[in-house]
Amino acid sequence: MAPSEGAPGLPRAEALPPTGHHPRPDAWGKVLGQTRYVGDLSLPGMLHAALVTSNRASARVRALELSAARSLPEVVAVLTAADVPGANSVGVIFPDQPLLAVDRVRMVGERLALVAARSREAAAAAVGAVRVELDPLPSVHDPVAALAPGAPLVHEGGNLIRTFQVVRGDVARHFRRATVVFEAEYRIGGQEHAYLEPQGCLAVPEGRQRVTVYASCQCPFYVQQAVARVLGLSLAAVRVIQTPTGGGFGGKEDYPSEPAACAALLAWHTGLPVRLVYSRETDMQLSSKRHAMVVRHRWGANGAGKLCFAEVETFMDAGAYVGLSTVVAERANVSAIGPYHVPAVRVRTHVVYTNNLFGGAFRGFGAPQVSVAGEATMDALARRLGLDPVEFRRRNVLDDRRRTTCTGTRLERPVLARQCLERAVELAATTPPVAAGRGEKVGTGVGLVLYGCNLHHGGQRLDRSSAVVILQPDGSVVVRVGLTEMGQGLLVAVQTVAAQALGVPPEAVEVCLPDTSTVADSGPTVASRGALAAGRAVLDAVRRLRRRLDPVAAELLHCPPRQVELLGGHARVRGEPERAVPIAQVAAEMAARRIEAIATGWYRSRPRRFDAASGQGGAYDFYAVACHLAQVVVDAELGLVRVARVVAVHDVGRVLHRPALEGQIHGGIVQGMGWATSERLAVREGRLENPSFTDYVIPTASDAPVVEIEAIEGAAGRGPWGSKGIGEPSLIPTPAAVRNAVCDALGIELFELPLVPPVIVAALGQRHPFAWLREQPADEGVGVR
Amino acid sequence: MAEPVRVRLRLNGELREFSVPPGRRLLDLLREDAGLTGTKEGCGAGECGACTVLLNGRPVTSCLVLAASCDGCEVTTVEGLLAATGEPHPVQRALVEAGGVQCGFCTPGLAVTGAAIVARGVGKAPERSRLISGNLCRCTGYLTVLEALERAGGAPDGAE
Repeated sequence: MAPSEGAPGLPRAEALPPTGHHPRPDAWGKVLGQTRYVGDLSLPGMLHAALVTSNRASARVRALELSAARSLPEVVAVLTAADVPGANSVGVIFPDQPLLAVDRVRMVGERLALVAARSREAAAAAVGAVRVELDPLPSVHDPVAALAPGAPLVHEGGNLIRTFQVVRGDVARHFRRATVVFEAEYRIGGQEHAYLEPQGCLAVPEGRQRVTVYASCQCPFYVQQAVARVLGLSLAAVRVIQTPTGGGFGGKEDYPSEPAACAALLAWHTGLPVRLVYSRETDMQLSSKRHAMVVRHRWGANGAGKLCFAEVETFMDAGAYVGLSTVVAERANVSAIGPYHVPAVRVRTHVVYTNNLFGGAFRGFGAPQVSVAGEATMDALARRLGLDPVEFRRRNVLDDRRRTTCTGTRLERPVLARQCLERAVELAATTPPVAAGRGEKVGTGVGLVLYGCNLHHGGQRLDRSSAVVILQPDGSVVVRVGLTEMGQGLLVAVQTVAAQALGVPPEAVEVCLPDTSTVADSGPTVASRGALAAGRAVLDAVRRLRRRLDPVAAELLHCPPRQVELLGGHARVRGEPERAVPIAQVAAEMAARRIEAIATGWYRSRPRRFDAASGQGGAYDFYAVACHLAQVVVDAELGLVRVARVVAVHDVGRVLHRPALEGQIHGGIVQGMGWATSERLAVREGRLENPSFTDYVIPTASDAPVVEIEAIEGAAGRGPWGSKGIGEPSLIPTPAAVRNAVCDALGIELFELPLVPPVIVAALGQRHPFAWLREQPADEGVGVR
Repeated sequence: MAEPVRVRLRLNGELREFSVPPGRRLLDLLREDAGLTGTKEGCGAGECGACTVLLNGRPVTSCLVLAASCDGCEVTTVEGLLAATGEPHPVQRALVEAGGVQCGFCTPGLAVTGAAIVARGVGKAPERSRLISGNLCRCTGYLTVLEALERAGGAPDGAE
């Protein structure tokens, strides 16, 4: 099963390097409190920025009175759209979003003016002194209602941004073969990223010619583009340095461009460094969210328990500006069926403007929502066929024999979906059953994912990555990459790959956070592509470095250059390990001879074809599968869900670094569990009514389930040594598995997420333990609703 | 403007004196006046625990403590968890070794609360989970954090 044949980075038939276990290079600085995040940076003369924003979801701007704010002490600048020297536009893909509103606001939190002051208190006072007069306009807050005739228009030109489709097989013909048809509408809520470090950046101007931006972000090149556009500067004049980033999860993909452009604009005008760090409340109201979706299903299966057809229509709530919504929709669209063989498929995914919260990237990128719906329907069909949910999946899951996805892609063998499912069931069976207390019910649910690794075809132009490797004269190594560490373990993954490729211990390798002036645009750190894309670029750089290193080593070893291998801190003669010189000695020799000890590396994915009209073709470069099995305990009286255990079996290709891999799976499971059970965005008329950790409830240590992980190696991906991505597949199956487990525990079907207590109590209806109270009108005050 | 208040602290073992506005938060005194940026602000409302420090040995969220109320107190921040020898606290070592550090923003608070838990000598896993549950972490799912607490001094389950 070893993926050594053709695993990227290896000559044929060479043994795989061992999996890394060493501590992360960033761990000690963080645990000692020595790591400096952007909020920890300050410079002499630095100003503090704050935003004046709209408190209405849809309005015309009648007046913006700034003079009172400008006259306050310590206030240095108050700027509006008129002060933007370049383009007043921050949309990543569509130019539909202004940095600063001109005459119209379309969402709560839309920026109207920017303030810079000598203290945070003065900046806050200036925001309070700006008088904003807004004339309310009609607004729309539901993606289905937004498409109805006569709905208020968020932008001229209509609320439908785009529809994506998958068209495969003849649904009408296969509909006739189905003996069971299930129809449902799922209402899936959004999610707040809740990274612990709020959005922040520090812009340092040099006159009006150039600016350096230090930013907490996932995508420094996006920030660079936005700042250059807004200031009318060249890309080269804008240098973005990623600061240690306290969590991202997609929330620091597109969004940090906005605060960065604000800080840079203030810096450009004042000539002073400007820091903008959001409060938690501002962060939660303004930053992007996982999209709320309405997912409609009509799926059918035959008497043999085989799926016949699947129709999916999804309405994605983009909010008032497109942002990354169309890209998220691309993944949602092709992920709607899951790892199942279905002869006829029709998927439509509508991206819709509303005046709600701004939808954007969030770990899973549209796949978790449609996976919850897909796996729910799988359970519903199983129940109607009298089959166990696992058995029904066995009959339909893709495998080596039936391996064509809904986009018409024939998966590479081995296809491990069936193995993941069976292994998860086996592992769950070996553990003692979850204990339930009085009034509690226990349930089990499964969720599977077919994850398209790396960027969708639509984003393929971004799918490249740059690296620089510098061998220091003492044998230590500096590695620069264009992708970011945000907690997920990019640094340790890149360190591991570089160390293995150069045969040095990991401690010898220092990996730097990205700086746009030192590496080429590497695209975004998203789509579980970090270790893959940065790692492949590093391997390429090492390959090029060795064209100069190997001849020097060969001279020292008295062997031909092609016999040089790098292993265990030494350059050695292949097959004669006793003939070795330390790599440090080779490095010193290169330095003494003035041989170039720096090399660049590059990665790009293989080109592929995809037909957007039919959704057929090479949607992704390669695929990973995973199965999560969740066991829950539900207090039926209170509607409270406790996730007791999650078994996670993942097809990972190759484990690069074990603790980093497991850390991603743990975190993905708990973040997915939170979304499924407690993380409800209370949005009323576009305003978030619970922008705090008291009211928006993310899991605590007390909620952590027991997690059992099995990583199956052997189905080679195209990452270093055959690895695949793990960041997103670690989350996607959990919410589906949890939802199915809750339904199993209660014997009901649920069509909403998150499963907060009122949803469960309402769905129980007559089966709620206190339902009888509702039948006694005299006791109205005692009823549960 | 109200008169500044004098605040004398034993801060990480060192006697320090500050003059602060009466409304200043302990968090701001630490980060801005004392330059100890290891303590983080995650929410400013006592919800996330990232700003946890030890006040006379007890963990508090420093965003909810007025600096002026700390006159005469002993304050230990994440920087002060290092022993005089420069040796990291066992909780810090355990967090690194168990893989309990990801993005790191919650980590200083976790280390400080963890140090208090270990000092108290709490043995059982559910109790450790409860005591650390005031520190939110979005990356790790808490599993390696709980493992680190166990390694750092909580006796194995059932041993009490």
